[in-house]
Formats: sequence, C-alpha cells, structure tokens
Amino acid sequence: MKRYVLMVIALIVTAVYLFPLYWMYITVFKSAAEMFQFPPTFWPQQAESHLRQVFEERNMARFLWNSLLIACGTTGVTLLVGTGAAYALAQVQNRWTSAAIFAVLVLQALPSSLMVTPIFTAFKGLGLLETPRFAVVIAQITKTLPFYIVLCRASFVQVPRELRDAALVDGASPMRAFFGVILPLAVNGILVSAILVFLQSFGEYVYARSLILDDQYQTATVGLSAFVGATKTDWIGIMTYSAIFVTPILIAFMLLQRKIVAGLTAGALK
Amino acid sequence: MNKLLSRFPRENGFEITLAGFALLYLLLFAGLPLLYNIVLSFQQVDLMEPATLLRPFAGLANYRDVFSRPEAGQVLSNTLQFVGLSLLFQVVIGFLLAMLFLQDFPLATFMRGLFLAGWIMPGLVVGVIWKLLFAGDYGVLNHVLTQMGILHSKIFWLSDPQWSLYAVIIANVWLGVPFNMLLLSVGLAAIPADLYEAAELDGANAWQRFWGITLPMMKSTLGAVVSLGAIMTMQQFDLLAALTQGGPANSSQVAQYWSWQLSLQTFEVSAGSAVATLMMVLVLIVAVIYVRSTRNERMV
Repeated sequence: MKRYVLMVIALIVTAVYLFPLYWMYITVFKSAAEMFQFPPTFWPQQAESHLRQVFEERNMARFLWNSLLIACGTTGVTLLVGTGAAYALAQVQNRWTSAAIFAVLVLQALPSSLMVTPIFTAFKGLGLLETPRFAVVIAQITKTLPFYIVLCRASFVQVPRELRDAALVDGASPMRAFFGVILPLAVNGILVSAILVFLQSFGEYVYARSLILDDQYQTATVGLSAFVGATKTDWIGIMTYSAIFVTPILIAFMLLQRKIVAGLTAGALK
Repeated sequence: MNKLLSRFPRENGFEITLAGFALLYLLLFAGLPLLYNIVLSFQQVDLMEPATLLRPFAGLANYRDVFSRPEAGQVLSNTLQFVGLSLLFQVVIGFLLAMLFLQDFPLATFMRGLFLAGWIMPGLVVGVIWKLLFAGDYGVLNHVLTQMGILHSKIFWLSDPQWSLYAVIIANVWLGVPFNMLLLSVGLAAIPADLYEAAELDGANAWQRFWGITLPMMKSTLGAVVSLGAIMTMQQFDLLAALTQGGPANSSQVAQYWSWQLSLQTFEVSAGSAVATLMMVLVLIVAVIYVRSTRNERMV
C-alpha cells in the first residue's frame, strides 16, 4: 500500500516538473483566439497546427542545418582529440597527469559568456570570423572537450588494467593494445559521452549568437531568439518552432535515458 | 624538450602523445584566451582599429570605469542573489526529490530519469517556454497561483523590476534541479543500509536518523553539488537572454550577462573584459574548491 501512495506522490511531482514541456506541446495545437484566453485552457479546444508553415516561414531548414553542422564538427573533433586523452589520463597516473586532470576540470568551469569576450576579439583580429561556423566549432570545443574527457575517463578507468598489460606481454604495441583491446570495451561510455556532447552543441547559443554575424550561417537557437524578439506575441509560432527543434533531442534522450543517467553519475562524482 | 620527455617512463610514450593533443588544444583555445582577457582588461580597446596585441595601456582605468557605473551595485547584488537563491532551492528541492525517488515503489527509476529531460533541453528553449508561462495577462503561472489562493492579482513577472530577477531564478532552479537530484541520489544510495537499521534498533526516529546519519554522510556529496551548482549558475546565460535580457532597467542584470552585453552589444570590450576577469576569478576559485573536494574520494 505504502508503495502505491509513494508512486502517486512521485507521479504528481513528475507531472508538475514536466508541465512546461506539456505546455509547449499543447500551445502548438491551440488556435489564435484560444491562445490569449484567461483563464487559459489546459487542452486545445479546436486543435490545429502550423508545423509546416512555421518550418518554412522561419527558414528552419537552414537554421537546423547550421546547428547540425556545428554539432557534428564539434562532436567529431571532440571525439578524435578527447578519447585518447581520456584514456591516457585514466591509464597513466603520476604527478603530471594529476595536474592535467586538475587543469581539465577547472577549464570545464569557465563560462562561455565570459570567454566570448577574448575569443571574439582575438578571432576578429585573426580573421576567423570570416568562417563563422568554423569559429563557433573551435570555441565550442573548448567547452565540450573537458566535459567529454571527464565523462570518458570514468569509463576507461573501469576497464581492468591487466587487459592492457596482457596485450603488451603478448607483444602488442601500446597503440594496438588501445585500439584492439581497450577501445572496444569502453565503446559504450564513449558513445553516451559523444551523444551528450552532440546534444549540448546542437543547442549552443552564446558562441553562435556572438561569433556568427551573417544570418545565413545562424543556428536554430539564434533563429528562435530572433523569432521571439520579432513577434513577442506569436506564441503558437514560437512554441511550434521550439517543439520542432527539441523533439528530436527529447526522443534521443528517451531512447538513451538509462545509459545517460549511468554515464553522468560516473563522470561527475567518481 | 628532450630532457622533459625523458622524465616520462618510456612505455607511456603513446599515451602521453594522445593526452598532448587535447592539452595543447585547451592551452591554445582556452588557456590563451583566459590570459588574453586579463590583458584586454588593462588595455584601451577599440574594435574599429586594426587588431594588435599591443594597445594603449590603461592601468586600472577599466576596472574603475566599471565600478563607477550606476548599475554596478545592482549587478553585484543581483549576481549574489542569483547564485545564492538558485543554489539554495536547487539543493533543497533536489535533496527532497532524491530522497523520494530512493524509496522503493514501482517506476521510481524511470520517473527519476524523466526529470533529466529538463536538463537535456537547450537552455534557450527552456527560457522561451518559461517566458510564455510567466506571461502577465494570459500566463498559466498567474492562473494557477490565483486558483490556489497564493496570488490575489496578476504578477507581471518579467516586466516588473521587483519580480524579474526572481522569475529568472525560478526558471534556473527548474533547470538545475534534475542534475542536483541525480548527484544527490548517488550519494544517498552509497550510505550503508545497516547504519539506518542499527539506528532504528536504538530507537532513533526518522527525523533523528536524517540529522544523525543522512546529513553527515552526505557532507562531501553536498560540497560537490553546491560547488558544481554554483559553477553552472555562474555559467547561465541562455535563460537571461530568453527571459529578460537583464532588464527592465537592469533589475535582473547579472555579471556574466552584463559582461557579454558590454563586449558584444555596445562593443565596450575594455569594460566587458574587466567584468569578465573579475567573474572568472570567482568561477576559478569555486572550481578549485570543487575539484579538491571531489579529489579526496577519487582513486587517483
């Protein structure tokens, strides 16, 4: 009995917490007249939707494409550079690597909104703002790389050391031991961390807003904030935009929920 | 350089190379900008002039300029309130939820996982949704609060200078709760069950068990969660951009947003970098505390 009382309480709490998401989705289906009613309706009276219209009018295809490119670039480089580093920092344990881990953890804390001042000034001087999406990728990696290394390192730590030693005794080079033995065992942790990096970069805002001056290269987040700034009251359109933008993220999250939870807790506390 | 390399054990050469790439990248694109920001804050920066490293030296003029602005006091107090109140509510709500979901009932882990949906959403979208919830005339928050008898008249959350900062804090708490809950759950789950059993045998009630066992055992986790929460709150930008943009009349302005506005909207890079430097010092102090507090349990 007590178990079911607790479950009902938990259900209510979860529903209250997720209410903002619910509100976004039902606003998508409200009619213009219903939108500004007070008291508001909690279920659309005459459901209609403008998915296609908003998608086309707000140029969402181009914005999403730019976000996708930036997210792919960021994730690709982070994976390529970060995986080896995460492995090395898990494998080798001495004063130097402790210092390196310390530096990585501290760098993870630097807010983009503060780093963007020197990065903007320097990139402008170096001419990097001519290739704005590339500039955002470079800047965003400074944020995702430490995050990825910390998360991934935790899954490399779980691979028993003896496996590498055995491979070395068998005559494998350190490189073969890494690619042939250890990497396949850590592939789960790598994938989850990479997906988190991807989702984070897909929704990135500060660097895109600051470093991309040409609308043509702008990302979905900046497109959304421009939309909000331009209309202020077309909430149905704004929520439709938001829903189109975040639904893939939420689906990816739902599919991987269990693994994401496990990966996050391992990286942050252990 | 060779001398330095030879200090490493030979068999780790491959691993050192791997780590080297990442560290070099971070040094170039995070370490150098960090230093460059400090340099900028002591220079007179004019973005219209061709870029050079050597600009006129300004001494402490930029810092004096920032502090002499009329909004400086308000920004300072807002930043403290923003971080302090966000932390307080995130940790308390996160703790309560963590304890709830640690009980044994059907779907507990699944529902706890659902909370992270809030964490995975782009901050800007969360801000935009909250902007709709906060709407003064037709907003659902005003409706619910009046129905519950908490409010008697509508609050204009985002355009009333008395409320704007608190509106941003509410949205930020919503965003931060899942992560807090998750980390606190891990800490709670690690407390040995026999401690509670022994205390129960000795006749301690639930309240006494909480103060006598749970809280003391959670001390290091709480330390990590609080410092991590402080870091994430000081990083918060997207919510501010979506909700109030620091307004009305700087009533919800905080340091990290102010720095960005100065540098990238009014192009006063000197002032912006001075604010950024001050704020970074604060973030780095908290980061060092965080790393050292988790390091004690770390198996390094």
